Amino acid sequence: MTVVSRIFDIMSSRAVTGEARLSTSFAEKSVWIQLIGVAVALGLYFVVAGWMLARGITILPAFAGVFVVAVVLLVTILVGGHLVAALVGRPEPTDVRDREIEGRAESRTGWILATGVIGAIGALVVAVEPVWVAHLLLLSLYLAELARLALQLVYYRRGM
Amino acid sequence: MEPARGSVKNRIRQLRFEHGEMTQQELAERIGVSRQTVNAIEGGKYAPSLEVAFRIALVFTVPLETVFQFDPDAK
Repeated sequence: MTVVSRIFDIMSSRAVTGEARLSTSFAEKSVWIQLIGVAVALGLYFVVAGWMLARGITILPAFAGVFVVAVVLLVTILVGGHLVAALVGRPEPTDVRDREIEGRAESRTGWILATGVIGAIGALVVAVEPVWVAHLLLLSLYLAELARLALQLVYYRRGM
Repeated sequence: MEPARGSVKNRIRQLRFEHGEMTQQELAERIGVSRQTVNAIEGGKYAPSLEVAFRIALVFTVPLETVFQFDPDAK
């Protein structure tokens, strides 16, 4: 077993449940990669954007460059991660359990994005600056994705 | 309303053993799911769809209730 494959297994079984090691499916590895990619890339974006907002920069196009860098970083992590996962283990198509886990996690975390959207509409009504509205929407999307991916991993390990 | 109780038990491990020590991977390939899904079903962490349950029973050529049993008292 390669080092990378071992890292995936340690991340997914021992760290979460403490149970005896159970090899990780390609779909579960993919969820780990997405979680890390979203957390790192968009997390860094929010650190930089927060710093810019704190310095009084409120022109929305000023954030575009940072956002593009974050998206490129996200795509790089996703492509690189899946490439490594495919090299260390046999890629398999998702099965009925993977789809059920994704659907259930999505249905239980969708309210986060919905809350952000409602909040953004409320912010528009009271004429909050567009830069804050845009970041509220992006933050709710970020948190909803993190929650969905984390919940998927819980379902993979703990069961449904 | 009282929360639903009960859980689905299965005899997949025993049936695999009785069928020439069939591996989880072999069973997974025959029913069209990943080995980890077979492992989750066997360990009671995932209740399969009716279709997958029938496919498992078909592999072992036994009735569905020979593979899966519902325990209404289980938490």
